[in-house]
Amino acid sequence: MKFLRASGGTFELQFAPEEKALLFHLLNLYPLVPETYHRLTKDKKLARRREDQQLLNEALKSQREQNRKEILALVSNATRFAQTNGLSAVVFARGELEWMLQVFNDVRIGSWIALGSPDHEAKQKTRPDRDSLRHTMMMELAGAFEMFFLGIINGDVPPESGG
Amino acid sequence: MPATAFPEVAPEVMPKPAAATEHEHGYLVICWDDPVNLMEYVTHVFQTVFGWERKKARKHMLEVHNNGQSVLARESLEKAEFYVHQLQKYTLNATLERDGK
Repeated sequence: MKFLRASGGTFELQFAPEEKALLFHLLNLYPLVPETYHRLTKDKKLARRREDQQLLNEALKSQREQNRKEILALVSNATRFAQTNGLSAVVFARGELEWMLQVFNDVRIGSWIALGSPDHEAKQKTRPDRDSLRHTMMMELAGAFEMFFLGIINGDVPPESGG
Repeated sequence: MPATAFPEVAPEVMPKPAAATEHEHGYLVICWDDPVNLMEYVTHVFQTVFGWERKKARKHMLEVHNNGQSVLARESLEKAEFYVHQLQKYTLNATLERDGK
């Protein structure tokens, strides 16, 4: 991946074919975090808790549906990525980088949950099988995309540099 | 979540918490540590959700990392719910709790 330039609140990125395939693969995995993962509070006595928990679940569900629509619009738009010398260039608005960060982190957390939510130590002890390798790879790849996008947003990644 | 999402509830049906009413700033927005969210990402989310400068966001991120949790805001119930939703949208481990003080 390469960050080409920023202009007027937009960011132009360039992807090699395998990088674009990885990007689309990660986006298409969304959502991975189970709907019941988030709790509004740890306090069982908190008034109206059940009602508010339901409202939170509905709000998060609505957010997931919106992100899913954004993903479908992006991956199905054949003209969005301009092809040059086998590379794909695309211009993302800041808002698009923001929802993609949410999507990447969902894939990262969802993969971690699928691994059994290991702590740092346990993660290193995990004996890899096909599934755990796949989840580990997706978790790390999603993290790599997150860091690259964050670097662009924060201005830590200078233009014309790769990730 | 917006204030309009919550209908008024008669006090006799749903008693108010003893420590604070829903409209008082008696609810804490807390972010809890986990071994998977990236530090840079957590800092970014705090900046985005609360509009904080990077230095303040990073201070709270380090509190989460080093102490296991950080109190990010003390708000009314509705505002606290709104912030928890925003943080969970980014898959952070956040909850609201009553302020015991």
